[in-house]
Parts: sequence; structure tokens; C-alpha cells
Amino acid sequence: MENIIEVQNLKKAFKSYSSRQGLKGAFRDLFTRNYTIKTAVDDISFSIKRGEMVGYIGENGAGKSTSIKMLTGILTPTDGKIVVNGMNPHKEREKFVKTIGVVFGQRSQLWWDIAVQESFRLLKKIYNVPDEQYEEHMKDVIDTLDIGPLLDKPVRKLSLGQRMRCELAAALIHNPPLLFLDEPTIGLDVLVKLKIREFLKRINEKYGTTILLTTHDLSDIEALCERVVMLDEGKIIYDGPLKELRENWAEGKQIQFQFSEKATLEELQNLTKDHLVVWEQGESDLIWVASVDSDETVISGVIGKVTAVKKIADLKILEISTEEIIRNIYVEGAVRHG
Amino acid sequence: MEYLSIFFQYVGQYLKTRLTYRADMVVEILSDFLFQAVNLVFILVVFGHTTLLAGWSKNEMIFIYGFFLVPFSIFASFFNIWDFTDRYIVKGEMDRILTRPVHSLFQIVLERMELESLFGAVTGLVVMFYAGDKLGLEISWYDPFIFLLLVLGGALVYAGIFISLATIGFWSDSRTDIMPMMYNIGNYGRYPVDIYNKIIKYVLTWILPFAFVGVYPASYFLKRDEWYTYAFLTPVVGLVFFMMAVTLWNIGVTKYRGAGN
Repeated sequence: MENIIEVQNLKKAFKSYSSRQGLKGAFRDLFTRNYTIKTAVDDISFSIKRGEMVGYIGENGAGKSTSIKMLTGILTPTDGKIVVNGMNPHKEREKFVKTIGVVFGQRSQLWWDIAVQESFRLLKKIYNVPDEQYEEHMKDVIDTLDIGPLLDKPVRKLSLGQRMRCELAAALIHNPPLLFLDEPTIGLDVLVKLKIREFLKRINEKYGTTILLTTHDLSDIEALCERVVMLDEGKIIYDGPLKELRENWAEGKQIQFQFSEKATLEELQNLTKDHLVVWEQGESDLIWVASVDSDETVISGVIGKVTAVKKIADLKILEISTEEIIRNIYVEGAVRHG
Repeated sequence: MEYLSIFFQYVGQYLKTRLTYRADMVVEILSDFLFQAVNLVFILVVFGHTTLLAGWSKNEMIFIYGFFLVPFSIFASFFNIWDFTDRYIVKGEMDRILTRPVHSLFQIVLERMELESLFGAVTGLVVMFYAGDKLGLEISWYDPFIFLLLVLGGALVYAGIFISLATIGFWSDSRTDIMPMMYNIGNYGRYPVDIYNKIIKYVLTWILPFAFVGVYPASYFLKRDEWYTYAFLTPVVGLVFFMMAVTLWNIGVTKYRGAGN
């Protein structure tokens, strides 16, 4: 299958000046400024095939938004090559944006004061969508997102969840083959999130829409994406299947003990000194978490040793969550390959 | 052609929203009207004491003022970009604009239009007819067309200057007070430029050509033939300044840095 997005050695640097301290410094700033160059996106390359759903993750300031903005033609790259839908996003912007849909979770595409369907009509005009195509496609979108009853309400009277569903519909008016979603589920409740995920899966299956998704909510990515691209400090630190990431990192399990009396780290370490265990304190000094290898003898060994000496109120065995995996990766700063 | 149909769709939508806030609209039109009236009273008071100023009579001055209001009101209805930096750059609304397949400046014009300001043109016409009648001016069949051309030129001059100023926002998003200052300078264009000294006259003609919004084009209708060259330069100057502004804008868009989030 052909690549719908191709990025080679993409770079974006922002020049900003830092001001010196004090009044004297302010005067010096007038004549010579201290420029600092901040590289937001540092030499990244990747490609995305038609029909893929890719999760784009990273901490705040990792360069997610900046790279999405370059892919959508909003920002001009400092260096490197981008081809999306066979075009250079920034150079041919007005022609290019007809072939993509964009949803920024924190920014509305809709007009605040007018009814949702009027917003849709304006967008239909802007994207120059023919009537027949609009009728057929939008009916489907509106039904699936269940926003029929909201169409005649002004956007300002909608709840966040309702608005977000309308935003999604608005981004799809011209039925673009490629959809960029930046934090589409931010601040939404579980039900709406589920509905949106279901919808995204559906359009991906039905129209073969390629979706690039950034989010802080990893459950979105787990539910939707087979592939993740992970950024840190402007560089790609992992690009591959989510499954592999889990397998290489989630080797261990956690055992959470809730004791009925106080426990100390030393005491616990002493008890389990035969096994490879990392102890961590939980929310109080009654709760302790032991991270161990996923090995049955180790797990039962640790539990046996501890429960033989300490009284426990509760005991849980936890699989390490994706969230935790990601956190570990960021702490270590690199990805281990299996 | 496509842009024209988008334009009308926006206008329709705009009227619809405005009509749902009827009270608001009435208040706005009234306050606009009052503002014009105060300006007019000011002129009447000033010229109540002098009948001639650098060779211009009171009624001629009033006529120029009336003319000025027409291109100005067109500018004010469509080029409300004085808060561009704040609204579109700092708040990052430009991101949204840039993801749509229509020229970014055109979208902003459509989003920010305030058609109520067009009532200023009505005031202007009334003032012109009043003063013209007192001066005994005659209207030829081709005058309305020339009028349209000159008004358009004047509006483009205004638009060009203010768009150029707005583009500063692409390079630096710090707050400047240039916009209100420029509104003040713009007002000089409604008085005959030969009442100012040479430098100011030069500036108002070639650098910030506000004189092409008021006195120059109006002098055509006042049959002041010593100013005819300038009067007919109005559409040219308008086009040149507007094109320059759009070019600057297009360069600015490539320098857009986005709002961080």
C-alpha cells in the first residue's frame, strides 16, 4: 500500500530571545539580544500507510503539536521534507487542506453563535462539497455520532461532549482520506469517549480513512491504534506496534499489599531478600507495592514470605499498565528493543 | 466566483445571527449614528468661526468629510483587523484558519465583518448631498461610476495600511499601540492636505496615503481641477497598497509560529 504521509529529516526550530535581568539588562537588550534556538522537532522521519490508525504520543512539549502543525500545513518546517497526500502541506496549503480533516480538541471549528447545521452549511460551502455527496455522507456521520437532535442548537448551548461530536462531524464534511486528531477526547466522560472511539473505528473501516491521533489518554490509543510513534524532546524514541512495546516493557507484575499494621522498607526488603523485588510505598505507610518478574515461583514466594510474617488486609496482583510503561520509558529516556 | 458565493453565504449567516440579537443591533446602529453626528457637529463648530481655511470653504470641508465616511465605512465593515494579533496569533485562532481551503485573509475578513458600519456610508451620502446642494454642485451621468471607483480606491488604501500593520503580528506577538495611533492619523485624511505643512502632506500622500481616502478623491466632485491628478490616482494607489499588504500577509503566514499548547 502506498504511503499517505512521508516525513524525512523533519526539523522545526524556534528562535526566541531571552531577556537579561534588571534595568541594566533591559537596556542591553535594546541593542543586542540573546537569541536562543529551541528545537521543537529534531530530525524525525517516518511514514504512514493508507488506512492506518497511528497514535502519536509524548509528554507536553515533546514536539507533538509542532509536528502535527507541520503535517497539516499550519507551520513551515525549518528543514526536511514532508509529503502528505502527495503534496507539500505548506506550499500548496489551500489545495492540500481539502484532502485532510483536522480536529483540535482545545479549539473549536464551529461558529459559536449559530446552529450546528448552519456551521455545517458554511463548511460545506468552504470545502465546496457537492449536495449529493454531502447528503449521503453526512447523514451517515450524523446518525453514527447521534447528533441529529443537536443540529438546530447553537454551539454555545452544547455540552463539551456534544460539541466534540459535532466537531468530529464538521471535520468530516468533505470526507477526507486523512484525519488528524489532536487530543480529541480531552475532558470527556467515558461514555462519550467510547462513542467517539467506536465512530473512528467505523469510518476507518468504511472509508479507509487514515487517522493520526495524539492524546494523553492512553486508553484511546489502546482501543484504536496498532502502531504508536513516541516522541521525546523532539525525537522519535519509538515507532512500532503497541503490542511489542507492551511485551518488552511489561515483563513484570506488581503485587500490592495493604497491611493492617505499619511496615517499613527495610523490614520488607529483609523478608524478600531471596528474590529480586523492588519495593515502593503506596498511598500510605500501610500500602506497599512490590514489583517482580512475571514468574510464578517468584510471585508466590514473595506473597508467602510476606504474609507469613505480616498481617494483611488486602492483596492485589497488577499487570503493569501502558501508562506505567510509557512513564518508565520517559524516565529511562530510551526504548529497549526486544 | 467561488469566493463570491462563500461571501454571500457568510453575509446571510451574519444577518441571521444579528437578527436573533435584535436589541443589540439597534443599539449598535444608534451608537454608530450618534458617533457620526458628534463628528459632524465638531466640523460645524470649527467652521462656524472660519468660513475659509487655506482656500477651502466650510461647505467644501463638510463635503470632503461626507465623502471620507463612505470608503471609511466600507473599510470598517470588512477590515476589522485591529485586534488581529490578539485574537488570531496570541490565542492561536490562526491554526483553524490555516486548515481551511480558502485564503486566510479572506476568511478573517468574513469572520470579522460588521455590516452595521455600512450605515456610516448612508450618513456620508446624506452629508455629501447636503453640502453639495449648498455648493450648487452638478452631477453628471458618469459621476456615480467615478464615485464608486474612487470610494473603492479609498477603502483599499485604508485596508492596505491596516492589513500591513496587522501582519506585524506574524513576526512579533507583543502588544503595540500602533493600531489606535493609525486610526488617529487616518482622520487627517478628511481635511484638505494643504492646511498641513509640507512634510505631513508628503507623508499623507505617499507613505500613509490617507489623503486618498478623503480630500483627493473628493476634490474631483468639488471641481478643483488642480487636484485632479491626485483624484484619479486614488484607485491606483489603493490597488498598489492593497497588493503590497497581501504580499506581506502571504510572507507573514509562512512565518507564523502558532500558539503553544
